[in-house]
Amino acid sequence: MTEAAPQPVATASPEPPSETNGRPIFAAEDVVKRFGGIRAVNGATMSVREGSITALIGPNGAGKTTFFNVITGFYRPDGGRATFQDKPVLGRPPYAIARLGMVRTFQITKALRRMSVIDNMMLAAPDQPGERLGNVVFRPRASRRRERAVRERAIELLEVFNLTKLAEDYAGTLSGGQRKLLELSRALMARPRFLLLDEPMAGINPTLGRRLLDHMQRLRAEEGVTFLFVEHDMEVVMNHSDRVVVMAEGRVIAQGEPHEVRRDQAVIDAYLGATA
Amino acid sequence: MRYRPARAMEAQTVPDRPGLPLRERLRELPPVQAAARNPQAAAAAVIGAFVVALIVGEGLQEVAQRGLTGLSNGAIYALGAVGLTLVYGILKLVNFAHGDFLTFGAYMAFIVNISWGGPLVLAILFAIAVTALLGVALEKAMWGPMRARGAGTLQLLLMAIGLALVIRYVIQFAFGTELRQLDVNNTATADFLGLSIGRTFLVVIGVGFVVLLATGLMLRYTLLGKRMRALSDNLELAETSGIDTSRVILYTWVFAAGSAGLAGVFAGAVTQVQPELGFEFLLPIFAAVVLGGIGNAFGALASGIILGVVIEWSTFFIDPGFKLGVGFLVLIIVLVVRPQGIFGQARTV
Amino acid sequence: MTELLPTLPLAIDLEAFASLGFWTGVGILAGTYTIFALGLQINVGFTGIFNFGQAGFMAIGAYSMAILVTDAELSFWLALPIAILITIAFGLLIGLPALRLRTDYLAIATIAAAEALRLFALNARDLTGGAQGIFGFDNDWDDVSDSILSGLESLGWTNPETLFPLFLVVWGVAIVLIIALTALQKTPWGRVLRAVREDEDAARALGKNAFAYKLQSLAIAAALGAIAGFFLALNLRFIIPDEFLPIFTFLGYAVLVLGGLASYWGVAVGSIVFWTLFEGLRFLELPFDEVQIRALQFIVLGLVLILLMAFRPQGMFGKRQEMVLGD
Repeated sequence: MTEAAPQPVATASPEPPSETNGRPIFAAEDVVKRFGGIRAVNGATMSVREGSITALIGPNGAGKTTFFNVITGFYRPDGGRATFQDKPVLGRPPYAIARLGMVRTFQITKALRRMSVIDNMMLAAPDQPGERLGNVVFRPRASRRRERAVRERAIELLEVFNLTKLAEDYAGTLSGGQRKLLELSRALMARPRFLLLDEPMAGINPTLGRRLLDHMQRLRAEEGVTFLFVEHDMEVVMNHSDRVVVMAEGRVIAQGEPHEVRRDQAVIDAYLGATA
Repeated sequence: MRYRPARAMEAQTVPDRPGLPLRERLRELPPVQAAARNPQAAAAAVIGAFVVALIVGEGLQEVAQRGLTGLSNGAIYALGAVGLTLVYGILKLVNFAHGDFLTFGAYMAFIVNISWGGPLVLAILFAIAVTALLGVALEKAMWGPMRARGAGTLQLLLMAIGLALVIRYVIQFAFGTELRQLDVNNTATADFLGLSIGRTFLVVIGVGFVVLLATGLMLRYTLLGKRMRALSDNLELAETSGIDTSRVILYTWVFAAGSAGLAGVFAGAVTQVQPELGFEFLLPIFAAVVLGGIGNAFGALASGIILGVVIEWSTFFIDPGFKLGVGFLVLIIVLVVRPQGIFGQARTV
Repeated sequence: MTELLPTLPLAIDLEAFASLGFWTGVGILAGTYTIFALGLQINVGFTGIFNFGQAGFMAIGAYSMAILVTDAELSFWLALPIAILITIAFGLLIGLPALRLRTDYLAIATIAAAEALRLFALNARDLTGGAQGIFGFDNDWDDVSDSILSGLESLGWTNPETLFPLFLVVWGVAIVLIIALTALQKTPWGRVLRAVREDEDAARALGKNAFAYKLQSLAIAAALGAIAGFFLALNLRFIIPDEFLPIFTFLGYAVLVLGGLASYWGVAVGSIVFWTLFEGLRFLELPFDEVQIRALQFIVLGLVLILLMAFRPQGMFGKRQEMVLGD
């Protein structure tokens, strides 16, 4: 991780005006996660403003990914509370959280390799009557109708991400970068209000990274999707996020705008301490 | 920080199914918390209470009597389980063919002892040696190449099953299904302290425990033993730490197959030598492996003995025909409640 | 094992291969195990669940039906659906704790459950007849069979093979099930199932309750196992615990991997090929006694499993990546 000299801060596109602007779409309080005797997350409290692009950063071992996994339901919490759109979510199973509109991606992309790209996409659509066994048997027409609508939307999204040509290919044959785009577009099929990206820039070239960021900005501006992403690349964090949450040793030590956080003494200590 | 995040990713994901609040509430109860912190003590306490209740109910003599029978079965389970659990680390799965190593050993002893009329001791040594050889041969011909090719779990699992069938039915082809006996005096009993036990059982307990003790010492104090344990715990990690894994793998097979062969001879001695012998002992051996924590040799050793005794004591309550079912129930309960076993670490399952 | 072909003569010459009786017998077994392995296919091939207790579901189905008919004196036709429901209930009961387990642990747990059931059947003499088993449940079926036979006679077949009606019905049911399952697989429901097989966590992150789908898959497999159990019972005319040993689940897996993990139709082909080979062994002129031939059959089963897994894990109709990248 490079701590660059102070650079002129390029402005990200401004948050869209909205009456809920500034209100948290997500809030976590005193979240705790233990592994054996170690408290990987030791009382993390933070919030995410609706319509913002928020970065979650911290030195290695700070507990970012663990926290991420806890709030998205993939780890069982050992303490704390969290709400999404004022609904309690901590400790709920991951599929329930996703259905509420809080969708996550994975750092190591989980493209369903032996299924086609279009199948990957169609899978993600919510409210599919055809996914329930009872409907398959008793309401086949409703299922088929929805299936057609889902397919149309899937192709639309694939076009946005320039993946249309690959629709019928097995996802396992896609390049790494294409899989990242697939992961993002697939997450969007799920109609999220709050999209959590686990290290979206990891392992991809800068051009693709730029495209991903552009998409995020556009989605935020056009559809009001909120983003939280775990990231190590400081350039991305400083120049493309509205707010930054800093974790160290399992706690949140700072929250605020990038330029404020960068100058925060606790943050500087945490990073210097970690690299000592 | 000692924890390994990469492996921990699989640990304890929130389940999808309903009923979560009840389970959480059960978890909070103080006795459950205490048991979770020290499972060995909890298990010992439960067994201790059970034993006391039994003695009060059935009388010390009866309890001790069946306990002795249980110990001899337990020695057999323990011998089988230690090898199986060590091999687990190499194969990354529970080797279904292990039970048939027992059968193979029993028949090898039969050949020397009955067909060729040799002394029993020679038969036992022969059985151990030939079974060990079989284990090594299979590693070279089958497991090694499959590992090198990156075979998946289902592939290996089905190969192990196929192998089990081939061994068992080649034996049946050659020897038929008749029940055979080794040249042991099954009627002579030893009497002491008001207890009466078949001499064969006594010998199994005696020799078995000596071998188990030696095994335990070997695993704990010798370099090879430590390496074998490291391997069974985490093969990749052992490879990167400079151990000559291919040699240790071979020695592990020698040990695992050899001990299985010995267990088979004992099993054949206390019951009969027949082709289904190994399979009958296999599931209790699996149970011992799981109870002890997969990959944990000492756990397997202890669990085998405990299981042997507990299964025998269960005949106080249930039809003896169903006593093996107790083993299965234990296995299922352990897999469901605490998959890492009584002695295992909270590892990924 | 001889019970498996109760009405075939123990001929030991190649003429037997030309006999319709042989092929009818093979056909019934192949059809029964097609249905059996369809359950394995939806579990292993399409959901990623290593169900090794399918013989246990077969047992529950067969025993429930037989007990309902002989003890509770229910109509055979009513007993069938009730027995299926009972088997599904057991499937859910076993699945609730077991489906959380990792692949090889699940295999052990399901074998243990099936064995516990078999031991129960062996010992609960009052309910299940113990080692002697149950018989006398197939009177209603005999009526149907007789009417089919007379139908065949009226079509011009002078001396129809007695087991032919069973052969027709087994395959009729098998084909209907294959068509239904293939159609089911193409629905959004089937898509979620495949996603669960590929990567449960990805499916969960997209709002799918993976566990519920695994339970449904197991329930369907249980129902299929029960149906296979019915046909086994009708073929043998009696039910004993030995017919539900784990080796029959292993046999089902041999059928499954022979056909390949990709398709339901492949299961049928795999089953026919396997049973022709398996039963054909008994009619080759080999200088071995009965016990040895039996042993030879299972040696071949074992070798089929080993060689397939070593050299062609995708079977006849599967794709190689499906097996090898199975983890």
